[in-house]
Amino acid sequence: MTIPLLDLAKTRTVLFDGALGTELMARGLPIGMAPEIWNVERPQLVREVHAAYFSAGADVASTNSFGGNPLRLAAHGLEGQAYELNHAAARLAREAAPAGRYVAGSIGPTGKFLKPQGPCTEQDLEAAFADQVRGLAAGGVDVLIVETQYDLREALAAVRGARSVSTLPIFVTMTFNARPRGYFTLMGDTVARSAAELESAGAAAFGANCTLASDQMAACIRACREATRLPLIAQANAGQPVVGDEGRIAYTQTLEDYVRFVPDIVRAGAGFVGGCCGTDPSFIRAMARIVREETS
Amino acid sequence: MTKNELFPKMSEAIVAGDRAAATTLAEDAVRGDLDLLEVIEQGYVPGIQKVGDLWEEGEYFLPELISSAEAMKAAMAVLDPELKRRSLSSHMGGRVVIGTVEGDIHDIGKNLVASMLQAGGFEVYDLGADVKLERFIEKAEEVGAGMICLSALLTTTMTNQRRLLGLLKDRGLRDKYKVLVGGAPASRKWAEEIGADGYAENAVAAVKLAKTLSGRT
Repeated sequence: MTIPLLDLAKTRTVLFDGALGTELMARGLPIGMAPEIWNVERPQLVREVHAAYFSAGADVASTNSFGGNPLRLAAHGLEGQAYELNHAAARLAREAAPAGRYVAGSIGPTGKFLKPQGPCTEQDLEAAFADQVRGLAAGGVDVLIVETQYDLREALAAVRGARSVSTLPIFVTMTFNARPRGYFTLMGDTVARSAAELESAGAAAFGANCTLASDQMAACIRACREATRLPLIAQANAGQPVVGDEGRIAYTQTLEDYVRFVPDIVRAGAGFVGGCCGTDPSFIRAMARIVREETS
Repeated sequence: MTKNELFPKMSEAIVAGDRAAATTLAEDAVRGDLDLLEVIEQGYVPGIQKVGDLWEEGEYFLPELISSAEAMKAAMAVLDPELKRRSLSSHMGGRVVIGTVEGDIHDIGKNLVASMLQAGGFEVYDLGADVKLERFIEKAEEVGAGMICLSALLTTTMTNQRRLLGLLKDRGLRDKYKVLVGGAPASRKWAEEIGADGYAENAVAAVKLAKTLSGRT
């Protein structure tokens, strides 16, 4: 019997995976196509990416369902397949997971704004997230991860939507920008307010992902630690993307630059670490060595 | 109310993102037969500039920017028809075609830039997201735009910004338009490399850049 993921984090630093979309693109996912469609059309390639992360040492794989809520899928005309695509996403990661490893059901933003900035009500978002979670839960994920959220109200709607159909633990990562007065989401939510409200809404873990490079992430996680006693999760970008020769995309942090700050992130209080944009299995392999050393 | 009383109130209405007040004050200006171009430049524009400053200082965030841009639009909706009746135009900045490039459905940043440009006095044609490159050129030619703004959130779609510049060149239209690029993966260096006329990191900077490029500052 595998111990619950949150209990594992009490014994050692837990490692999530890295970027997924770019790995699928490297395997031929066409630009502009919803990555989730590959859960049914190219399942072996999705499984292959999860397997690569597990073999690099990840304890947890995030499912290929970041854009899998029906509001987001609607941009591709796929809203009717939300359950099927999320169910398949969960199943593929589950199939790739060796015994004792975990699957987190990825839930990204809808891409729609709530009123008054946009067209959606909180009920619209809750219903959309609930649809997605039904598929993920039935497909066998261990936890849910509501990620890359730039609006606390939407993140809270995701937590309520998930809660309405599932009892799985919910991790939430917000994406914070370094602004003149500290770390804020796009909508102006502070770390402290985000942590407090998500904790009362029932989030099991809180943290930050995307946008920030690994050096900035350590500082952001320190701010998170001051704000809450919840377990913390950190998934930094490998700096900023730059276009190199022949249109090849590179990130400003090299693998060495990136992982250099992982011990800082762990010491700042992150019990869960992983990668975001610009990372790949080689980053996770290097991080696996570091977190094992930190723990031992 | 006199101009000296009205103008600060107009500015305050924009800073507060108060649509109703911005509209009522614009109606007062029309009724009072004020110089409406002066009303815009000295009443409303200082408000939207203050909003930009507050954003840069980290006091304002996206909701405030949107509310203020909406208040500005509401005021302009009152003033524009009156200006037209007097054969004047408030669109000092000229016409701008904007959209997220093909293959990319992300439109939050683009929408904000479009709103802020409109609030900044540009006549904005927003083509939406996942816009075929041909369409940018067609629209710009059709409406007589002076500027094309290209957004991309993904590293994989930003190369379409480069392709658009190529298309313009192929058709001998490159010098006809100022081309601005934006989006998370874009940068000043990228803009230089692909031969765009400019890059802005955010919506506030985009308006400043657009004004500079159109010779308004």
